[in-house]
Amino acid sequence: MFKEMQSLANAQMTDASPHKVAGFYPYADNGGTLAAIAGDGFVVIGGDTRLTTGYQIYSREASKLTKLTDKTIIGSCGCWCDSLTFTKGLHIRLQYYLYENNKPISTNATAQLVSNMLYQKRFFPYYVSTIVAGLDADNQGAVYSYDPVGSTERHRYRAQGTAGSLIQPFLDCVLGRGNQTAPEPEKLTKEQAMIYLKDAFMSAAEREIGCGDFLQIMIVTPQGVEEERFKLRKD
Amino acid sequence: MFLTRSEYDRGVNTFSPEGRLFQVEYAIEAIKLGTTAIGIATLEGVILAVEKRVTSPLMEPATTEKIAEIDAHIGCACSGLMADSRTLVDRARVEAQNHWFLYNENMSVESVTQSVSNLAIQFGDSDSDGNAMSRPFGVAILFAGCDEDGPQLFYMDPSGTYVQCDAKAIGSGCEGAQQALQEAYSKSLSLTAALKVLLTILKQVMEEKLNSSNVEVAIITPAAGYRMLSKEEIENAIKEIPA
Amino acid sequence: MSSALLPPFPEPGFSFENVERNVSLVKKGFKPPKFTSTGTTVAAAIFDGGIIIGTDKRASAGTIVANKNTNKIHKISNNIAFGGAGTAADCDQMEKMVRAHVELHRLNSGKQVPVCVALTKITQHLFRYQGHIQCALIVGGVDKFGYHLHHVYPHGSSSEVLFEAMGSGSLAAISHLELNYKQNMNLDEAKLLIRNAILAGVENDLASGNGIDLCIITPSGMEHLVDYEIPVAFV
Repeated sequence: MFKEMQSLANAQMTDASPHKVAGFYPYADNGGTLAAIAGDGFVVIGGDTRLTTGYQIYSREASKLTKLTDKTIIGSCGCWCDSLTFTKGLHIRLQYYLYENNKPISTNATAQLVSNMLYQKRFFPYYVSTIVAGLDADNQGAVYSYDPVGSTERHRYRAQGTAGSLIQPFLDCVLGRGNQTAPEPEKLTKEQAMIYLKDAFMSAAEREIGCGDFLQIMIVTPQGVEEERFKLRKD
Repeated sequence: MFLTRSEYDRGVNTFSPEGRLFQVEYAIEAIKLGTTAIGIATLEGVILAVEKRVTSPLMEPATTEKIAEIDAHIGCACSGLMADSRTLVDRARVEAQNHWFLYNENMSVESVTQSVSNLAIQFGDSDSDGNAMSRPFGVAILFAGCDEDGPQLFYMDPSGTYVQCDAKAIGSGCEGAQQALQEAYSKSLSLTAALKVLLTILKQVMEEKLNSSNVEVAIITPAAGYRMLSKEEIENAIKEIPA
Repeated sequence: MSSALLPPFPEPGFSFENVERNVSLVKKGFKPPKFTSTGTTVAAAIFDGGIIIGTDKRASAGTIVANKNTNKIHKISNNIAFGGAGTAADCDQMEKMVRAHVELHRLNSGKQVPVCVALTKITQHLFRYQGHIQCALIVGGVDKFGYHLHHVYPHGSSSEVLFEAMGSGSLAAISHLELNYKQNMNLDEAKLLIRNAILAGVENDLASGNGIDLCIITPSGMEHLVDYEIPVAFV
């Protein structure tokens, strides 16, 4: 009985308390979608440029792709402030690597570094979905994807972010071709990979409200990095 | 040599009026008391060879380790105070592992040398905790390894200065050995020919008679990485050189 | 008389038999399914020939576009209609219920049913369910008393207005109406005003999009303009 009264009294005190306990909400979901496809001698990575909060648009022109070296691109989306901080920190680490080792960092080394930097904040993570796309030492396309705490894997193709769950099955269908009876298509070209990326993002923009405005694509070949932009739905 | 020797040789942080740091120069001199170590870089790989002074028949020669593995693709040879070399070798090993952990790739030979030289230079630092070094390390090190630029040899002295070499001799017999290396070295030397050159020179500069227990040899190749030669292999190699 | 093959007629009205079960499921961590929400922009205004209602055409489930061709203009009689935002099912059921009620009223009275009858039915129904029926409506119509426009909130409150916007895109739409609405507009001006108000919602609110429907009610009848405009930039 005493216990019950005490908890009742406590409840009333809390209700009547004039003090408000301020919450600590350090994360925001600003959306964004990324996808990358690797091939023989090239890799293409695309990201939409829409930045959102809830049902509002912050920006229609926020680039989620960053060129790290002539061979490596990083795409980062999720909590925008974390994306900015993380890529900035990564730039510093890469500059350090250059100074300490007298050579630009390789895609594979970048991939490992990104994993370490994410895991370093295991208990207060960067809320970001990340893709590292680039050419490996043999000039083969490489796509690495990450969860917010650095779990990573190398893929042939990968989609992440708000519409990642829409684009990944599409890429699985046209590129992975698991259990399909239709004959294997010819070797994937850079041009075909670009078409897949464009189709994927245009379809995603139809059905995912956080995906839209523009599609920014970076194409990495041994000759360097090229950039292209395409319009997506704006509503 | 040190004609202007004076009050200025008491600390590592005081220049003499001529602009010299005597303690550092003394440390470099100390290396010349150490055993001879020679490294030679060829297109096929790098070889390190050191003399071991077996001062007593009661001593177990295998316990003096003057050649150490840094990573699977890098080794080093030391001359000077062997106790100091432990600290430097430890640092090199930690840096090489850390680089692999961070970047999932082998650390380059130059980067390893650079990181060890960062430690070697700390003799000048002061520290409120009293953890500062009191003197320079009394060792010179030859770093030999194979990275993406091929076989490489680096030499670092007690001041932390390092330089890349095709062939380098350090320790008590270094002057004669370096002269001999200059005459014998050519870029196109094969690995077996280079081993012969090394042992021949070592034989010339050593006071004792060269045998398989008073010399250590390690070979680092791009394919096999760091490999220490066995007693038998050294014996066979010694048989090949002119008596 | 009932069996597994011939189930009994359900009692009229809502069934609450699963309420307790669902509450305890949620407590145990079960995630209830997402309902299709119109997440809408509705805008309406009175002009000098009658009233005009406009809506967008998107329905969403979370961040996924559930329907790209949604009708959100609900016709109650040939002189009354409402534009609805909120849970799609609630808006549809509301239309059927009120339409039946108003038709009975017309048959019983032999006269055109005034707007206030439909409005009263709607607000009383919403109030009875204490906001659980999630409809935010703009009810408009023409009757012998004149032109009427009312907004209605899910709890059952309402007020008569000259122009109004509702739904998740209402902030963008209302700012356009506040700036550009004027009395005694002709039909063309009114169409442009509502079109631009819906467009503001379509552009700035992620839950609105895919096109614009208009409905014009004048003393001479009702005109429903489906797909009045699908702006080129959004296709």
